[in-house]
Amino acid sequence: MTAQPAIRIDRLDKFYGHYQALSQVSLSVAKGEKVVICGPSGSGKSTLIRCINRLEEHDAGTIDVLGTPLDDRTAQIDGIRREVGMVFQNFNLFPHMTILENCAMAPMLVRRQPRREAEAAAMHFLEKVRIPEQALKYPGELSGGQQQRVAIARALCMRPTIMLFDEPTSALDPEMVSEVLDVMVALAKEGMTMVCVTHEMGFARQVADRVIFMDRGTIVETAPPGAFFGNPRHERTRAFLSQVLAH
Amino acid sequence: MSEVSGDLPLDAPAGRGSAVYDDLKSRFFPTPLSGLATLAGLALAGWILWHALQWALFDAVFTGPPEACREAAGACWAVIHARWRLMFFGLYPHEEHWRSALACLLFLGVIGASCMPRLWQAGRLAVLWIAGFAGFLLLMRGGVLGLSYVPQEKWGGLTLSIFIFVATVLIGMPLAVALALLRRASLPLVARLAGLLIDGIRSLPLITILFALAVVLPILAPGALGSKLTRVILGMALFFAAYQAEIIRSGIQSLPAGQEEAAKALGLHYWRRMAKVILPQAFRRALPPTISQLAIIFMEVAMVMIVGIFDFLASGNAAYGSGEWNFANVEVYVFIALVYFVFVFSLSRYGAYLERRMRVGK
Repeated sequence: MTAQPAIRIDRLDKFYGHYQALSQVSLSVAKGEKVVICGPSGSGKSTLIRCINRLEEHDAGTIDVLGTPLDDRTAQIDGIRREVGMVFQNFNLFPHMTILENCAMAPMLVRRQPRREAEAAAMHFLEKVRIPEQALKYPGELSGGQQQRVAIARALCMRPTIMLFDEPTSALDPEMVSEVLDVMVALAKEGMTMVCVTHEMGFARQVADRVIFMDRGTIVETAPPGAFFGNPRHERTRAFLSQVLAH
Repeated sequence: MSEVSGDLPLDAPAGRGSAVYDDLKSRFFPTPLSGLATLAGLALAGWILWHALQWALFDAVFTGPPEACREAAGACWAVIHARWRLMFFGLYPHEEHWRSALACLLFLGVIGASCMPRLWQAGRLAVLWIAGFAGFLLLMRGGVLGLSYVPQEKWGGLTLSIFIFVATVLIGMPLAVALALLRRASLPLVARLAGLLIDGIRSLPLITILFALAVVLPILAPGALGSKLTRVILGMALFFAAYQAEIIRSGIQSLPAGQEEAAKALGLHYWRRMAKVILPQAFRRALPPTISQLAIIFMEVAMVMIVGIFDFLASGNAAYGSGEWNFANVEVYVFIALVYFVFVFSLSRYGAYLERRMRVGK
């Protein structure tokens, strides 16, 4: 317990104009921990995860990532982003680059890896997400599930210590969800620190150390998956779970 | 309903494989009146083509003195034969024309090479362009390596037009990228200033800009911004950059926000995000209007004539304007139009090729 947490968020506020997206959110994620964040749309879960690598700027409170505070200093932000991988709902692969280039570019530019090394690493991670045969294709030629697996491989190529997943399966056709979740489960088993915004409750049960329920910009409930699904304490959590698990 | 659909199988064998004939007939001769219109149209087109050919080829005079053209009914291409050097090289000294021709070919080569995707790397393009410019200036200006010195005032013709075009684009394009990015800057003051500059330049006619730089500036600040040719090129580049900046910006705006976010999340800093992720995609999306803008600026180069620069069009005017060839202005302009057409049409076809090629990578 003495170890420094991977992420420490303290009384975070975030406004869009007058609308308060996050209010007084505090959360600490230990190294190697897997946290699943769920909640209805507009609850602030995506905003929260996007604050962790500063795709959104918070208005009050503090965020420390691996001991470094997130503030306006760009060098620090870029340093943190190197350590924090992110996977988006819409994959956001670069359409003008091949799969291999998508994966190898950032390590070459940011980590200054030689091309050969970066491409070898890229192939390693593409094999890990079971898609190495697509390396020379362009993103537009791949299915959604394949693209999302490439996006995971691309993030892993930077050898991050923390991985953020922002609704990684929400834009996928149902039959492609499991291929992406399988990769995420494998990653969790290797001990990666993971923060996942997702509605995949089966995934939460299987890998999460803690499940967090958010609503209207606040954390309503935090519990291990057993207690969270078996015995939710809050009315709002119960209502949400009954809707999500109904079908 | 069953009767109507029953017609089809009966009809099909009656065609006897002449689908093309049926298609033509239904398109052009569906009714007697339409058929008549088709025939009239064909006759008119044929008549125009026949007369054009008669004028341009059959009755034309290709060589000889002006008197040879007087009796002829057709075009007097002899004027081109007699004056092509003036049109291509302007007032460049006659015995040094080979230098101007070589410089022109050199730049055409540089343009051609720049169009090859294989060379699209910052380093390779920089070497190509710097070497191209150095070679051009060495040939045209001379004064070294035993080449006699030829002052800028003597440069002219097609060579000069192409030089102005290439220099305008090479200075204007980076300027356009800079203006487009500045207009999107997160600092409001910077963005406003860039916007003001772009909109200001776009509110001015090119002639005004050229006139101000070529004629007014030397009065207000003698010697500022180099020779007249340099100032005119800077003016053209500024004008081109203002329009091209908005084209590039529209390409950037059309990208999904996720592209930049993904690049940020990978730890790429601003310049790398722009260079590797945003601008390559923005240029792809902005390719059709960019090609249009290049075509426009190629033809706008002729505006420099207003401030006394002896470009291709001005040289053309001089080619027939010297008395003895006075009657042959149409032939000269047709020839100039043909040369412009070759350039701009090639540019358009190149644009179409690029679009096809890039679709693969989409």
